[in-house]
Amino acid sequence: MKRRQIKFNVLLVFSAIFIISCTNLEIEETDSIIDQTTSTGSIFNGVEDPASSVNNLFDGLRSRYENQENFYAMQEVASDEFLVPTRGTDWGDNGIWRTLHTHNWDPGHLFILRAWNDWNQSIFLASEVIDPRSNSSAEQVAQAKFIRALGTWVIMDAFGQVPIRGVDEGPEINPAVSTAPEAYALVLADLDAAIADLPATQALNQDNLNRASKAAARFLKARVLLNSGVYLGTGDPDSAALNEVVSLVDDIATDGFALQAGYFDLFKQDADTETILWTPSSVGNNIFNGLHYNTQALDGTGGWNGFSTLAEFYDSFEGAPNTNYVGDGQEERRGWVPDASNADEINTGIAYGFFIGQAYDKDGNALKDRPGNPLVFTKEFPGLVGNNERTGVRVIKYHPANGNFTSHKILFRYADAHLMKAEAILRGASGGDATALVNELRGLRDATPLGTVDLPAMLAERGRELYGEMIRRTDMLRFGTFASGYEFMDPDRVGDDSRNLFSIPSNAILSNPNLVQNPGY
Amino acid sequence: MKITLLKSFLLVGALLCFGFAQAQEVSGNVSDVNGPLPGASVVEKGTTNGTQTDFDGNYTITVGDNATLVISYIGYSTTEVAVNGQTSINVTLAEDAQALDEVVIIGYGTTTVKDATGSVAAVTAEDFNGGVISSPEQLIQGKTAGVQITQTSGEPGAGVEFRIRGTNSVRSNNNPLFVVDGIPLAGDDTSAQGQDIGLGTSASKNPLNFLNPSDIQSISVLKDASATAIYGSRGANGVVIITTKSGKGGASGGGFEFSSSLSISTPANDYDLLKRDEFLAGVAQFGGVAADQDFGANVDWQDFVTRTSASQNQNLSYSQNYGKGNIRATFGYGKQFGVVEKSELERITGRLNWTHRFFDDKLSLNLTGSISRINDASPPVSASAGFNGDILGAAYSANPTWPTFVGFDPGGGLLSPANLLAFTQSEANTDRFLGNFSATYNFTPELTGKLTFGYDTSQSTRYSVASADIIGFDNGTPGNGRGAVNDIDVENKLMEATLTYKKEFDNSSLDALVGYSFQDFGRSGRNIGGFGFNTSNLDQMGTDLEDAANSIEGEITGRYQQYGVGANDTDIFVNRLFPEVTTDRIPIVLTDVSAVTGNIFDFTDELQSYFARLNYSLADKYLFTATVRADGSSRFGPDNQYGYFPSGAFAWKMNEEDFIGDSVSTLKLRLGVGITGNQEGLGYGNFVRRTRFGDPSIGNGGEVNVPGTSTVTFANNALKWEETLSYGVGLDFGFNSDRLSGSIDVYRKETSDLLLNIEAAQPSPQPFFFQNLDAIVLNQGVEFALAYDLVQSEDFNMDVSFNVAYNENELQDFGGAIPAGTIRGQGLSLAFSQILSGGRPLFSYFLREFEGFDSNGQPIGDVQTFVGKDALPDYTGGFSLNASYKNWDLATYLAGQFGFYVYNNTKNAFFTAGSIANARNVTPEVLTSGEAGNAAADVSTRFLEKGDFVRLQNATLGYTVPLSGDGSIKSLRLSVTGQNLFLITDYSGLDPEVSSQPGSNDLLNSLPTAGIDYTGFPRPRTITFGLNATF
Repeated sequence: MKRRQIKFNVLLVFSAIFIISCTNLEIEETDSIIDQTTSTGSIFNGVEDPASSVNNLFDGLRSRYENQENFYAMQEVASDEFLVPTRGTDWGDNGIWRTLHTHNWDPGHLFILRAWNDWNQSIFLASEVIDPRSNSSAEQVAQAKFIRALGTWVIMDAFGQVPIRGVDEGPEINPAVSTAPEAYALVLADLDAAIADLPATQALNQDNLNRASKAAARFLKARVLLNSGVYLGTGDPDSAALNEVVSLVDDIATDGFALQAGYFDLFKQDADTETILWTPSSVGNNIFNGLHYNTQALDGTGGWNGFSTLAEFYDSFEGAPNTNYVGDGQEERRGWVPDASNADEINTGIAYGFFIGQAYDKDGNALKDRPGNPLVFTKEFPGLVGNNERTGVRVIKYHPANGNFTSHKILFRYADAHLMKAEAILRGASGGDATALVNELRGLRDATPLGTVDLPAMLAERGRELYGEMIRRTDMLRFGTFASGYEFMDPDRVGDDSRNLFSIPSNAILSNPNLVQNPGY
Repeated sequence: MKITLLKSFLLVGALLCFGFAQAQEVSGNVSDVNGPLPGASVVEKGTTNGTQTDFDGNYTITVGDNATLVISYIGYSTTEVAVNGQTSINVTLAEDAQALDEVVIIGYGTTTVKDATGSVAAVTAEDFNGGVISSPEQLIQGKTAGVQITQTSGEPGAGVEFRIRGTNSVRSNNNPLFVVDGIPLAGDDTSAQGQDIGLGTSASKNPLNFLNPSDIQSISVLKDASATAIYGSRGANGVVIITTKSGKGGASGGGFEFSSSLSISTPANDYDLLKRDEFLAGVAQFGGVAADQDFGANVDWQDFVTRTSASQNQNLSYSQNYGKGNIRATFGYGKQFGVVEKSELERITGRLNWTHRFFDDKLSLNLTGSISRINDASPPVSASAGFNGDILGAAYSANPTWPTFVGFDPGGGLLSPANLLAFTQSEANTDRFLGNFSATYNFTPELTGKLTFGYDTSQSTRYSVASADIIGFDNGTPGNGRGAVNDIDVENKLMEATLTYKKEFDNSSLDALVGYSFQDFGRSGRNIGGFGFNTSNLDQMGTDLEDAANSIEGEITGRYQQYGVGANDTDIFVNRLFPEVTTDRIPIVLTDVSAVTGNIFDFTDELQSYFARLNYSLADKYLFTATVRADGSSRFGPDNQYGYFPSGAFAWKMNEEDFIGDSVSTLKLRLGVGITGNQEGLGYGNFVRRTRFGDPSIGNGGEVNVPGTSTVTFANNALKWEETLSYGVGLDFGFNSDRLSGSIDVYRKETSDLLLNIEAAQPSPQPFFFQNLDAIVLNQGVEFALAYDLVQSEDFNMDVSFNVAYNENELQDFGGAIPAGTIRGQGLSLAFSQILSGGRPLFSYFLREFEGFDSNGQPIGDVQTFVGKDALPDYTGGFSLNASYKNWDLATYLAGQFGFYVYNNTKNAFFTAGSIANARNVTPEVLTSGEAGNAAADVSTRFLEKGDFVRLQNATLGYTVPLSGDGSIKSLRLSVTGQNLFLITDYSGLDPEVSSQPGSNDLLNSLPTAGIDYTGFPRPRTITFGLNATF
C-alpha cells in the first residue's frame, strides 16, 4: 500500500514537471532594449531615444576621422600629397598602402571595404533618426540629415553609386542602388532641409561647433555643388551651381566665420574663426603616422615612421629646397624645423609643417635613426619599397606641443570655403575677383602674392592650404588631374580614368547583387 | 573476460549438440559485497532465456537441468554457475574494473561497447595521459581515432581545440558539447579574455579547468550523429561525456586514497638567437652603427623571460560503499607554473559524490557537487600584439646588449622585456560550483523515472594592469597607468526528467527513453576600464580600480548600463536604458583612479527540449536505435524557434551468426545516419532588434567619450541553428578472443545553414550580423584503430595500439571570399594569410608565392594567391605501447598530425633582415639569407611550413610496491612520467602544434584562426614524479 502510494506520488511529480515546466523561450530585457515586435516579423519602430542616437551618429563621425586608414588614406595616399613608403619591413602592411598610391587597388582592398561599410552605416542610422516613427525633433532630424548627406556624398564621391535601404527593409532585402546623379539630388535635398532647421551657430562657439550648424551644411553644399560636374558627368558645374557656391560661402561668413592669421594655431584646441565643424577625434594618428620613432613628444611618445609627402608636393611651397629651418625663405604654411638653436621642451625638436633635413631632440642634440645613422629626412625615395628609415619629408599639422592626443580635429574650415568661392568665381561665377581672394589668403600666410590665378594655380593653392585635410583626391578629380600621374603611380595607370571611382568591395557585391562593379575592375 | 568469451563459444557449441535437456525451476539471490543487486541479468547460457533480479536481488528462472546460468551486471565480473540439479543458487558478484571498461556512457544512459550502435569511444581513468594535466581534454589527447585535441599553447590552462571528425563550422567554436555527470555545460567562457591594455588580446582560459582531472572516472566521446542526436541542436560537433568517480568501488569500511606529484617543466624548445657580439656584427653588416647599438650588457633575453618551473598536485579522497549507498569525497590542490615568467595556474577543488538508496532500493538519490577555485596569472602574452610583439616577441627581438634594469628605455617605441615583465600583470580568479541532484525511482522492474536538477555557477574576475612605469606603449599608459577589471558571472540551471522502459522479450529486448529538459544559461558581468593611477603597485592598481568602480556604482541609484568619468571631467556620466534611455550626470566621486569607465551586461538564454530514444535488440544480433530530439532555443528567430533532430542506427553483431568462425570474437557492422544542430557562438538575442549604448573607452589622454545608443542587432526572424547531416558505416572486429581487435569507420558530414557573423548588405545598422550562410562544409573521412596484445603471460604483458584518421574538409557552394587569419608584426598591419572560399578547405592559405630574393635582396613575387595548402591536418594518429613486468609497468604514447601547414608568423614578424637592419635581434640564418635590410617582409610562402610532427606525448614508468595489504597502507604505487619528451618535425618554429588565439574582437571578419604561430607560448617538457597510495 505504502509502496503504491509512493509510486503514485512520484508519477504525479513527473507528470507535473512535464506539464508545468514548458516555457515560451522569450528573452528578457535585462541587457538591452528589445524591440519585441521585431521578434514577430516587424523590423523597425523608431529609435529608442533620438537624442542618444544623434550622439551616436556624431560618435560615428569621430571614429571615421580618427585614424589615417580607410577614407583618409583613400583621399590622401591615392593622391599627390602623401605616400606611405615601405621601409624595410615597416609599413609593408601587405601592400595595402602601395596599391593605393600606385592606383592598383582591387575589390578586396580593406580600407575601401571599411570606408564603404562605415559611411553606409552612418547613412542608415541617420535614416532611422529621420523616420517619423522616431519622433525626433526638427533639429535632430536636421542633424541626421546633415550626417546622411555627408555619408551619401562620401559614397557617391568614392564609388559613383549609392545603395539605398529603407529602415523597414530587413536583411533579406537587397538594397536598391542609386546612380551618382540620383544620389546627388538626395544629398542636396537633405542639405536644404538641414540648412533650414539647423541652428545658426556663430563662429568661435567651440562647444557647439562639433555638431552641424547652418554654416556646416552650407559648407558641405558648396563642396557638393562645386563638384557637381563630376557627379553629374557634365564635366564642369553649371553657372547656377557656381553662383550658389559664392552665396553659400557669403552666408557662412555672416555667421562670423572668417580667415584667421597664424596657420599652425588653427590646429590647436583653442577657438578660432575658421573652424566650421570639428569632431572630438584624437589628432594623435595625424601626428605620429609620419614622425620617426626617435622623434618624440615630451612624454616619450614616438612616431610610427610612415606617411611622407612627395618631393614634388614639397617643392610646390616657397623656400629653400632641402632644408626648412627658420629663415630658409619659406612661407608660413611650410612651417619650420627646430635645429640645435631653437629645439626646446615645447617643440621637442618636432617640426611644424614639413619635417626635412637633420632632426634634433629637445636639447638640440642631432638625432640618429635606429640603426645609428644621422636622422636626416630626405625628399627622394628609391621606390615605394626598399626605403630606409629616413627617406621622405614628414608632415605635422597638429603639433604634439598642443597635446599628443588632443581630441579636436577640424573637418570643415573657412579657408576651404574661401578658396571654394574663389574657384567658383574663377570658373565663371560672379561676386568678386578670384586672384584677389587667393592673394588675400596668401598674404595672411606670408606667401608672395600671385600675379594671376588659373585652374592649376588654384589646385596648387588648395594643396598648400589644405594638405592632409582629407579633400585632395576630390579636388584632383574636379581638376581632372587624378590620373595624370604623380611619383610612383603605376605608369600603366597614368591616364586610366577608371580609377577615378574606387572598386565596389567584393564583399559588398556578394551581399547585394544589385551592385554592379565599376568599369575597369 | 576474454577467456570467458572463448569458453562460452565452446559451450555454445556443446549446447547445440545436447539441446534436449529437461526443464527445471531455479531461484536464488544475486548480491555484491554490499547487499542485493537489483536488475542483474540471469540468463541460461546459449539461449535467450533470461530474467532480471528484482529489487531484493531475487530471481526465478526455468531452465534445462544441464543448464549453466550466466549472471551479469554492468561493472561486475560475469559469473557462470552450472545448475547440476540445484534449485537454489545464490551468487555474489565481484566488481570488475575490466568489465567497467566496456561500459560506455551515452547520452541519458549507458550501453556496452558490444551493444553500441553509434560510433562511441570511451577512455577510462587507467588509460588517461599522466603528468601535468590542466584540463580534462588533455587526459584523452590522441587516444581516439578521429578526435583531434590541440592545446593552443603551452600556457597553463590555455584553451583547447577539440575537433571530432573535422571542423564543421566556419565561425569560432567548433568544440563539442561537454556533459559533466549529466549536465550539459554552456559553451561559453567562464573567465574574461586577456584585455588589451596596450599589447593586444588573448583568448580566454579553458572553461573546463575547474574539473580536477584526478576526479574523472571516464570520458566518452560520441562521434556520430546517431549517438549525438539525443543532444539535438548542440550535438553537431560531437559530445564529450565526462563522468566523475563515485564511491561505488570503495571499501565497505571506507578508505582513503592519496596521490601526490611533483613536476619539473622546462621549455621544450627555444630559438637560436644571435649572441651579443654576433648581434653587433649583424647590425654592422646591415649598415647600422654597432657602437650606437651597444648598451654594454650581455643578456639572453629568451632565457630571461622563460624558466624551469616546478609544479605540484595533491589529491586526497575518501570513498565508502556502505550497502545502501556509497560516497566519495575528494580534496585536490594543484599549482602549476608555466615556463614563461609570471604564468601560473592554481586549482583548489572539493568534490562530493553521494548515492543513497531508499525503499528497498526503489528510490535512489544521487548528489554530486564540486567547488573549485582557479587562480591564474598570465604574462603579457598576446595573440594580437602589434609591431612590438608581446613579452615573447620582445624577448626574441630585444638587443642582447640592453641591460636588465627595469627602468631602461630602449627608445624608438621598442619594449624592454625586463620593463614589460616588471610593470604588467594579468591575474584572474574564478570560483565555480557545479551541483547535480538526481532522484531515480523504479516504478516497476521495467519502468524507471529519473529527475535531475543541475546548478552551475561561477564568478570570475580578471585584473589586467600596466603601471605608469611601463615604457614604449603608445596608448598613453607611460606616466599614467592603465588597467581593466572584467567580471563574468555565470549561472546555469538544468531541470530534466526522463522515463526509461526496459523489457526483455523471448528473443529480443527493448530499451526506450523519453525525456524533457529545460536549461537556463545566465550570464552577467561588467567591464571596467581605468587610466591614471595613483600607485604603481600592480596588485594595488587592480584593487584601486575595482574600489573606484564600486564607489561610483554606490553613488548611482536605479538601473544603468554604463558610467564613466574622464581624467579632466567635472562629473560622472551615467547611461541608462531603463525605464527609458537617459544620460545622467552625477557628482565626481573621489577615487584613486582618474579616469574610470564601467559597462554592464546581463542576459539569459533558454533551451527547452523533448527527446526520445528507442533501442531494440533482436536475437542479440540485430541492434536498432532511433532517437529524436526537439529543441526550442531562445537564441533563434520566431520562424525557426524549434528544431527537430532525428537519427537512426543499425548494428549487426555478425560474430553471433553461425557462419562466422570461432576465431572471430567480435565482428559488428554499424550503420548510422542523423541530423544534428549547432548553436554555439551565436550568442544572445541575435534575431531580434536590440538597442544599447556603445562601449565606452578611455583615450590616450584619459578622456572618455559618452557613447550614444545604437542598434546592436538587426532583426532576422529566420535565424536558425546550423545543421549537420551525417552518415557513416563502421566495422568493429576482434580475433582470437579479441587479442587482436580494432575498428574501421567511414563517414561523411554535411553542415549547412552555416551561422556566421557576416558582412551586412549596406546600408545597415552595423557592419556585421548573424546569418545562416547558404553554403556547405563537407567533412569526410576514415578512421582506423587497431590493438594487439603482443604478450600475455603471468609476469609479462605487452600490448600495442594504434589509431589513425583521415579527414577531408571542403567548403562548398559558397560564392564569397572572406579574408581571415590575421598576420601580425612589424609592417604587417592588416596583413592576412587565409581566405574563406568555396571549393577549398577551411583555413586555406592565400599568400604571395615566394621565389627567392633578387640581386638587390628584395623578395620576388608580390601577388597574393591561393597556394593550395591549408592549416587542417589530413591525418591524425596515435600509437601506444604498454607493458608490465611483475610490479613494473610502462605506458608510452606517441601522437602525430600530418598533411597541414603552419604559418610561421613569429619568423615573419621578427626574423627577417629588416629586423636586424633596425637593430632587432634575429636568428643566425637571417644574416646569410641574401635578403636586403630594406626588404619588405610581406606575407608569403617563405613563412609557410609543413607542420607534420610526431611527438612522444607521454611515457610513464610505474612501480607498484608489493604490500601484504594488512598494514595501514593497502596499496602504494610510484611513478615517473615524461610529457613531450621528444618531437620529430621539420617545422622551424618552436612547435607546429600551435594556434595563436586572440580575443574574439580581434578576429578578422569574426572567422577563427588555425595554423598561425605568432609567439606561441613555448610548450614545456615535463617530468613528473608521482605517488599514489590507498589506506
